[in-house]
Amino acid sequence: MKEIKRYWHSLCCFWSSSIAAEFEYPLNAWVELLSVLGNLAGSIFVLKLLFGNGVALGGWSWNGSLIVLGLYTILDGFTTCVLQPNLSRIVNHIQTGTLDYVLLKPIDSQFWLSTRTVSPWGLPGIIVGFCLICWALFKPSSSINYGLPSSGALLLAAALLIASLAILYSLWFVLAALSIWFIKVWNATEVLRYTLVAGRYPVSAYPPALRLIFTFVLPVAFLTTIPAEALLGKSSSIWAIAALGVAGICLTGSRLLWNYAQRFYTSASS
Amino acid sequence: MSIINAKELSKIYRISEKQPGLAGTLRHLLQRKHREITAVNQVSFSIEPGEIVGFLGPNGAGKTTTLKMLTGLIHPSSGELSVAGHKPWQRKARFLRQITLVMGNRQQLLWDLPALDSLKVNAAVYGIPEKEAQRRINELAEMLELGEELLRPLRKLSLGQRMKTELLAALLHQPAVLFLDEPTLGLDVNAQVRVREFLADYNKRTGATMLLTSHYMGDITTLCPRVLLIHQGELFHDGSLSELTQKLAPCSQVRMELSEIHSVEDFCGYGDIHSLKGHQVQLLIPRAELSERVAALLNRFEVVDLEVSAPPIEELIGGLFRTRDKL
Amino acid sequence: MKWAWRVARALITSQYALMLEYRAEIILWALSGVLPLIMLGVWSGSGAATAAGISAQQLSRYFLAAFVVRQFTVVWLINVFEEDALQGRLSPFLLQPISPLWRYLTAHLSEQASRIPIVAVLLVLLGIAAPGLIWLPSAGAIFFGFIAIMAAFLLRFLLQLVLTTFCFWSEKAAAIDRLLMIPYMFLSGIVAPIDTFPPAVKRLAMATPFPWMIDFPARLIAGEPVNIALGFAAITAWCLLLLPICHLLWRAGLRRYSAMGA
Repeated sequence: MKEIKRYWHSLCCFWSSSIAAEFEYPLNAWVELLSVLGNLAGSIFVLKLLFGNGVALGGWSWNGSLIVLGLYTILDGFTTCVLQPNLSRIVNHIQTGTLDYVLLKPIDSQFWLSTRTVSPWGLPGIIVGFCLICWALFKPSSSINYGLPSSGALLLAAALLIASLAILYSLWFVLAALSIWFIKVWNATEVLRYTLVAGRYPVSAYPPALRLIFTFVLPVAFLTTIPAEALLGKSSSIWAIAALGVAGICLTGSRLLWNYAQRFYTSASS
Repeated sequence: MSIINAKELSKIYRISEKQPGLAGTLRHLLQRKHREITAVNQVSFSIEPGEIVGFLGPNGAGKTTTLKMLTGLIHPSSGELSVAGHKPWQRKARFLRQITLVMGNRQQLLWDLPALDSLKVNAAVYGIPEKEAQRRINELAEMLELGEELLRPLRKLSLGQRMKTELLAALLHQPAVLFLDEPTLGLDVNAQVRVREFLADYNKRTGATMLLTSHYMGDITTLCPRVLLIHQGELFHDGSLSELTQKLAPCSQVRMELSEIHSVEDFCGYGDIHSLKGHQVQLLIPRAELSERVAALLNRFEVVDLEVSAPPIEELIGGLFRTRDKL
Repeated sequence: MKWAWRVARALITSQYALMLEYRAEIILWALSGVLPLIMLGVWSGSGAATAAGISAQQLSRYFLAAFVVRQFTVVWLINVFEEDALQGRLSPFLLQPISPLWRYLTAHLSEQASRIPIVAVLLVLLGIAAPGLIWLPSAGAIFFGFIAIMAAFLLRFLLQLVLTTFCFWSEKAAAIDRLLMIPYMFLSGIVAPIDTFPPAVKRLAMATPFPWMIDFPARLIAGEPVNIALGFAAITAWCLLLLPICHLLWRAGLRRYSAMGA
């Protein structure tokens, strides 16, 4: 209990100090806002092109696809808020040797590395994403009006969103931890950002082979499609359980990898 | 009870080599050659609580590797090691709360923030209650002569001020053992002196154990009654600095100006003649017999001027490394 | 001349050696360029391309070519430069009797060279997974395609160089580059063939430098009918426009850098 309190107190300190640091560079706020809106406009434009002749995309309606896009935007915002600022820093820690200081703190090093800072500039993305989802759900003129999901569907969607955040975090952390072996990975994390773009579209829009990859190799399907299905009341319990299971496996995997990487670092570095 | 105990501590690295040029690169790609390097070889020593020990050696001698093993950042290849009653490489929270590491060339504080913000983070991480943390910060800030500097973003501080805030951050949790790797690196002479004074003062007040490396002999001579000299991974000397000087340069140089010219035979029995030119003579005399021999010399000859000198410790150590490297 | 050749050779071999040291990273970077292939997946399932008059084969060849073009026109100048400037590594470079830009340019070329085997392996794997996808372009397409890729790379390099010079004034120039990535992403033809755009958007896109960086070389390689002369003329025009801007900004930036004494 005392430990939990210490971790909680540390987290509060981390975040209040890093928000203060972020405001040293107010330009970032505008860049992020513009980038969120620009990306969203571009994505909707491409989606519009894909729906050009009115054919549904992989069995998904226009509104359903917008919900997927909204979830993608939320995840992207989360990435900007927490994942990007923290995990891209691991590389710096290794290059400059300040990882030594992190490892000598009496606190879990994965906790420190994953939560040390927070950037408020991902919030526009998260808010815009939620707005897009609401708009897609309630837009009156659409051929299918989804309306308010049942409370059960909402709860499930929330749980699945948390699972997808956990999966996303694990993917990022694993890639960032690889920098212990490959020093120059400052944009290995960018790899992930570009591949996860696949999550902008429902996974059933892809050919079967890619669908398999996005489900079993790079779990893009669990990031956006499955929570969106839950929101539309279309979800099957098997997929929901699978999503939670994948989240658990990913988190454990990231933990194991970090323990191994640390052992490697502490026995090999000079 | 020693606070640091190292017994036959060794660290062996495996490295891969590459020849320069394109051909070397391609060969390296296809077939890697590995070589084992012994960075630290069978080093044994123990340090008592409250001691300040200097850690000497040229670059690449194994100082940093040893320091990293002591802090638990590197796993020793063999040997026994205990620091503050723990095995360092397990890096248990209870161990980590008792030690601290300060590296002159690396910062732990955030660049964009005032030091005070980073200090609050450290206080939270070490579980120090806020009031207690504030008290300690005030106390250390006073010792370090830091004031409103703590409220300015780190990037706006001078190198010396930054080092002092780093020290403050490293000492906030009142560690029992301090590892200092080049704490005065790049500082000007004044700032060096202030850091030294602070460390000596801190040691006196808290009885903390300190192990420090430095390239500046001044740090070692003023702070450390005991030094460990490590060379090519092996412990060459463990003892006081004067013993080291004795070991490295057993003779002193005595230069005399005499009123009359004497021949070589006249100095027989006083010491080895280094040079003899007209009125000037230089003799090498073992340190242990220096005073009686000089007295005898003054008795025997009419001396106009006399000067006794020992080569500075830097030169002695440098000389040692050069001669050893040749072997 | 002889001196220039010697410098170029030394720079390229040393940078190539450096890039081979980073081969694991380069594999990751190459993988990050799979976006055109993902988009091929989405487009082939949608039926919107057929509606725009693009056959399935044309579509797959286009995106595959776009994938290759993208691989060899990646520019990361601003990221390295920002790091070098912030960490003070730039000063020793500036003391050398050759502009550090040549060093960065050769680093990019070497990185592309070290990508060749990786891209080849990826294409072979793709050919095994989906045999219908791979084809051999005509000799002319390969020849002009190669030149077009190099020209597109140069244009992209110069465009980013303009933003890179902002590093002399701002610590966050790379953030501005992220903004430039957005029109690049959506207007260059990476995510959708330009031909599927509504006419007004297409006209707008063609007025920017972006379609010439991906769409033009990709369609050239894919064997689509393209106006080769117009394409190269457009790239040359954009480069000629950017060169003096880069030159002026770089000079001004250096003056500022030396005035700051950083």
